[in-house]
Amino acid sequence: MIRVKNLRKIHQNGFVALDNINLTIEKDEFVYLVGPSGAGKSTLLSMLFKADLPTSGEIYINNISLNTLPAKQVPLLRRNIGFIFQDYKLLPKRTVAENVAFALRVMHVERNRIRRQVAQVLELVGLQQKMNYLPSELSGGEQQRICIARAIVNNPAILLADEPTGSLDPDTSWEIMQLLSKINARQTTVIVATHNKSIVDDIRKRVVALEKGRIVRDKHLSLYDG
Amino acid sequence: MKRSGVMIFISVATITVSLIVFGLFLLISANINNLANFISSKLEIRVYLKDGIQEAEVEVFRQRILHMNGVKDVIFIDHDTAWKQFKSNFKNIELTDVMSNNPLPDTFHVYLQNTDSISNLSSYLKTFPQVEDVGYMGPIAERVKLFSKVTKIAGLVLVGLLTVATLLITINTIRLTVIARQNEIAIMNLVGATSDFIRWPFIIEGLFMGVAGSFVAVIFLKASYLFFSVKLQNLLPYFPLVFDSFILSLVYLAVFVLGAILGIVGAYISVSRTLKSV
Repeated sequence: MIRVKNLRKIHQNGFVALDNINLTIEKDEFVYLVGPSGAGKSTLLSMLFKADLPTSGEIYINNISLNTLPAKQVPLLRRNIGFIFQDYKLLPKRTVAENVAFALRVMHVERNRIRRQVAQVLELVGLQQKMNYLPSELSGGEQQRICIARAIVNNPAILLADEPTGSLDPDTSWEIMQLLSKINARQTTVIVATHNKSIVDDIRKRVVALEKGRIVRDKHLSLYDG
Repeated sequence: MKRSGVMIFISVATITVSLIVFGLFLLISANINNLANFISSKLEIRVYLKDGIQEAEVEVFRQRILHMNGVKDVIFIDHDTAWKQFKSNFKNIELTDVMSNNPLPDTFHVYLQNTDSISNLSSYLKTFPQVEDVGYMGPIAERVKLFSKVTKIAGLVLVGLLTVATLLITINTIRLTVIARQNEIAIMNLVGATSDFIRWPFIIEGLFMGVAGSFVAVIFLKASYLFFSVKLQNLLPYFPLVFDSFILSLVYLAVFVLGAILGIVGAYISVSRTLKSV
């Protein structure tokens, strides 16, 4: 489903963020991207989302090359990929329901269907009682749930999560990861960039370890440190 | 919501002020052009006749002048007709405050083929016993013709520059409202909104801001022009101010249309720039 070939990213200041990345991720897989800060995890995720362009190399999603994807089709790509941000990126003046519905509104989905899907997904993430709250009235964990709900409301094939538990306490982090596992069980490919060792060790999945922009380990059902 | 309301108010106020300046300039320009045209049209000699000349004698004299060298046409305006025309031209002035009887004489308007003979002809016409006085504005009219041409060109250039300045001010003002919602735009971009989906609400908002600004500007310009032009006309009754409703309507329409266009263009450019940067 996702193929990365000889991917390289060099920033303008000469810093090599990614070097010779070769990676294949099959449909419905759950993959951790682990490594210290600056290893290239977030950079790789942003490439998969076409939020950033590689210096060289190729990325294929369902055999479609992102390199040759026209700019007008990038929004369509993003509607098939849910993204969970570490800083949530919620609209502060919109309610929980409106934030989640936003991902469907941009697809011109009709109102009744939006209402139904939003309700379903908020139930999945456990926020159906708080649909009329503003993000500022919720905890960090709850805000991350809104972010997850928005990312999955249109049933994307792929879910990318960049440090989804970065600013959360251990218990809340565990709940978030349980939720992501549940989503993966519903046949969504999930890729999580994280440096949370305990989460990776407790919920064992495929681990792709990055160091200084290179893949140093790729192992199924692995621990954080191998 | 409160903060964005304040920003929108400031944007509309800035657009309004810019359009008022633009509109004022258009009105001044229209009046200068009107003055230039007025004076230019007076390329003629006015022959003021003495009182008591019989109709038949007037016609004989008119024919004599018509056959003089350089004369294109001679039109006789009797004193009653002249008084009616005068009152019509200066209807904003209370003439009964100034004069109760018709002071104007019978007049020949002598239209010339060119200005070459104007001076000699005027001097010659003065020698006739039927003539009280002769007046002409030839040299001034020539200068004013040149002045009119220069002001029209300068006016077009200045209107062009002012339009560009107003556009830049509008773009930057609207840009502030867009920047204030940069995060919102970035999020829309990340969840798969097309550029058009992101742009259109801002363009419509820009249109409303432009229309609101131009509406206020037009009301202000209309009220101010009416107030000051009446006062000026009473002070300088011979100054040919523009009261033609068609011309004034064109000016106000230009301001209104410019406001709407600037709002749309300003919003489009601002959002496009922000989209490129997210």
